[in-house]
Amino acid sequence: MSEYTRKPWIRVGRIDEIPEDQALRLDTTPPVSVFRSDGEFFCVDDTCTHEDFSLADGWVEDGAVECPLHLAKFCLRTGAALATPACRPLATHEVRVDGADVYVRIERGGDDRVDGHCPGAIGSNAGRRDAEGAGHGMA
Amino acid sequence: MFDVTELVQPDQGLINPSIYTDPEVYQGELERVFARSWLFLAHDTQLAKPGSFVQTYMAEDPVLVVRQRDGSVKAFLNQCRHRGMRICRADEGVARAFTCTYHGWGYNLAGELVNVPMQDRAYHDEIDKSKWGPTQVPRLHNHKGFIFGTWDESAPAFEDYLGDMIWYFDALADRYDEGLTLVPGATKWVIDCNWKFAAEQFASDMYHVPSSHASALVALIEDPAVLAEFQEQSAAAPGRQYAGNGHGSGFGLRPDLVPTQAGPDFDAWVVANREQIYRRIGEHRALAVNGHNTVFPNFSWLTINNTMRVWHPRGPGQIEVWSWTYLPKDADERAKQAVRTSTIRTFSAAGVFETDDGENWTEIQQVLRGHQARKTTFNARMGLGHERHGTDGMPGRVTDDMYTEMAARGMYRRWADLMSGLSWPEITERDKSRQQREQEAHLA
Ligand code: FES
Ligand code: FES
Ligand SMILES: [Fe+2]
Repeated sequence: MSEYTRKPWIRVGRIDEIPEDQALRLDTTPPVSVFRSDGEFFCVDDTCTHEDFSLADGWVEDGAVECPLHLAKFCLRTGAALATPACRPLATHEVRVDGADVYVRIERGGDDRVDGHCPGAIGSNAGRRDAEGAGHGMA
Repeated sequence: MFDVTELVQPDQGLINPSIYTDPEVYQGELERVFARSWLFLAHDTQLAKPGSFVQTYMAEDPVLVVRQRDGSVKAFLNQCRHRGMRICRADEGVARAFTCTYHGWGYNLAGELVNVPMQDRAYHDEIDKSKWGPTQVPRLHNHKGFIFGTWDESAPAFEDYLGDMIWYFDALADRYDEGLTLVPGATKWVIDCNWKFAAEQFASDMYHVPSSHASALVALIEDPAVLAEFQEQSAAAPGRQYAGNGHGSGFGLRPDLVPTQAGPDFDAWVVANREQIYRRIGEHRALAVNGHNTVFPNFSWLTINNTMRVWHPRGPGQIEVWSWTYLPKDADERAKQAVRTSTIRTFSAAGVFETDDGENWTEIQQVLRGHQARKTTFNARMGLGHERHGTDGMPGRVTDDMYTEMAARGMYRRWADLMSGLSWPEITERDKSRQQREQEAHLA
């Protein structure tokens, strides 16, 4: 993909608007959130892949975010699901810090869904959609 | 159903003891007294940051009291609307959301249902989540850091509900520039007695102290000469009792803010901050209003003994006491430690005074198992006809001696009005005309 066809950088806010272990949510569709953990900034999809919950309201610790509803956990760097009941990863997005400002670039390629059943998510909404091949979980 | 006029005659100081034992009366109290009154829920300092919560009770109903992101407070029934499980099973903590442990319904900090697992598959996307949140406590009021709530939309505004009691409450709530803080955690214990014994005693009963607490007093004050001095002081300055709107406050008049029961380390802090206290609540009030208090129905404290509690009713014959030690927020560590130690010694679950009180209430309840015992009438007539108004410039009905049962009669008056099903406007109206009559008589 050339630089010309890529999506533009979006300004999220000032660094100090995202304190350590907190997140700032962007109302894109679907929403994404920028997290700060150990001084580093990360951008991932905001909605937990288990059920529906805004991970900006989650618990951030050691580069991971935990969903308070049923305690699924995601790696902020890779988006990987680290703890059940979620098993599908979060989409990750580029982050750039420019001076005191934070920017993100949200690109959604093709299908970033992990195929197949979701053994950990017993009877979850996400699991059902996957099993039926009914399309993207979140998109 | 019960006939309230046969249960109490507050103006005569007569009590039918079945009000302490009858299960029907108790159910009536849950509906007509506790669900219609302002109840203490939590202190500001228990909810330090967004998501901080405590679970407490409004009578038998568990409620979650939660600090919101914007700093406000919300309270709602801790009951999942799916099948009634507790939404949150922790006593206190910091949360980002609450998830019912039974089937996993999820709620946000405001108590709105935000997630139903398998909404599409199991509910066919046909559930309207906005309709299935827990019951909200519709009215909350924060009085100088003390958060109260009521289920009743028609109850008077908090200030009107307190009436003149605010002046006595503020001897505690408004005492220090930096306010109060609580020693973390409530101490909880169970006493097998009716809630009214505890609430009434803290509203109205200084009379039991020399008798019930004789051994404790001797243990605390070994030197008979010191004790004699105390007694002389108390005889010379006979104290006061306030009663109004079901609330009560009683106190001995003291020549100085110190010595306190907490001892020299706390006294030093009090002396250093004496001017601050006088500036905030006035010297007269600071010296006088130092004793026992109840805000109707079940929130009580002992102003200078640094202890407050809620008497949560648990059936006609049991209460759960939730008690806290409060401290001036900016007191030094030595002063704070002194208060903690003295509160543990005196009014903790095993405190020397506390156990004396609980012993009496349990015994009364035991005796009331008897059929004959329940057919008697109790005497709450002390000081009847000797009520006063405006004694020493204090607001409301104030007697010129702390040994009286005016506040007990006031408490049963409010109790009877609520129990007989009068509406709040009717109660307020009756109270007003009663007060007018009394005031005219007292000042005549
Ligand atoms: S919604 Fe996040 S763990 Fe269930
Ligand atoms: S009882 Fe709460 S989810 Fe079923
Ligand atoms: Fe006592």
